[in-house]
Amino acid sequence: MASPDTGVDAADTGVDAQFRQQVVQTACDLLILLLERDEPVTESMRLMDELMVSSLLGLELLLRLEEQLDIQIDVELMDQDKIVTVGDLATFVAGHSRPL
Amino acid sequence: MTALDSVAAYQPATRRTVEEMAAPLGLSEMDVKLFRRFHGLREICVDPDTSLTDLLLSAAAGLDLSGREHRVRYVLWARAFPTVVPFPANPLHEVCRALGLGHALAFTLTQQSCASALQAIDLAGQLLAADAAGGDSAGDPHTGPLALVFTGEKAFTRDAQVLPGMSLFSEGASACLVSATGEQDRLLAYACSQRGEFDPAGGGTPERFQSEYRPLLAQVISQALERAGVALDELALILPHNVNLVTWQRMCRLIGFPPERVLLDNIASNGHVFCADAFLNYRTARERGLLTTGDRYLVATVGAGHGATFAAMVFQH
Repeated sequence: MASPDTGVDAADTGVDAQFRQQVVQTACDLLILLLERDEPVTESMRLMDELMVSSLLGLELLLRLEEQLDIQIDVELMDQDKIVTVGDLATFVAGHSRPL
Repeated sequence: MTALDSVAAYQPATRRTVEEMAAPLGLSEMDVKLFRRFHGLREICVDPDTSLTDLLLSAAAGLDLSGREHRVRYVLWARAFPTVVPFPANPLHEVCRALGLGHALAFTLTQQSCASALQAIDLAGQLLAADAAGGDSAGDPHTGPLALVFTGEKAFTRDAQVLPGMSLFSEGASACLVSATGEQDRLLAYACSQRGEFDPAGGGTPERFQSEYRPLLAQVISQALERAGVALDELALILPHNVNLVTWQRMCRLIGFPPERVLLDNIASNGHVFCADAFLNYRTARERGLLTTGDRYLVATVGAGHGATFAAMVFQH
């Protein structure tokens, strides 16, 4: 099981499910835009292996999530290796961010 | 055992904000935001009116060389770029003449890019040790031979100004006197990993480099600590290369080291000063009293160019 402070496991971290879903939707929309994809992006898709999201693009995604959701994400707590899917990312963001 | 006799560093006073560098470097609004928000970069030093020779001499001015010139046997210049001035200009020879070091054997190291500084310290120590083994009296740190290790670079092309998506380079220089023995800052161990597979000419990609960057740096940190016989939690301080904030925050999580014991403050105000980061950070640590007698500390850096070099040194202050 993932470490709670990575925010990967939604059940363990007790994140706000509604907010997490909002992050999922926003992240999927942003990824379509950033990757110039015609196909939809879903919560279960793997960021690096499947969507080919680089470290740099990942940071841009986080920055755009901050801007769109009016939040600040605790990026320094992020463990990239444990954030595999779009859903993992949303769980982390929902559990490690605060409103601006 | 190789030791640092004294360390000095210099950066030009002229500063530019990340926003001011956007137009000349062709950075997008998103690039600027990323540099500020996640990479922690606010401004860099850049002074078109300061020459490379000026930079090196300004750094050397911080050393107490007077009366010790005759002891300087080697002058090494570690830098990231192989070619920095047009032929026949040679800033290193100009600096040696100006400092009364014309007798010294002077040469430049660039093979390990920004990690060349640690290689230069190691090599300086080896040269002095070899002289001592050959019968020279290198034993006395007060009278024995010295090596002068310079770093210093001008950010004079776009390639020398920005590492896309990772860092902005800043101008600066350092000068460090190395002795074969000494008590000031003793070199306990050095570890270095040269990775040719990241050379784009051989198929290396930025994505692979970024994804393996931190694990490989963690590996050399671990090797250096093992060779020094020092545990990670025994380190008083890590002096990082100033590539960016998020890389080091994530490094800290990866190796399990508290970020408050990594000197990260200079990233925002200095940027990445090529090979000089370690020495600039050392000066900051000394000025703030962050190192006390007996403290063990680690210097870590990565050089990227045609391939990559990951390097770490452990010292005892």
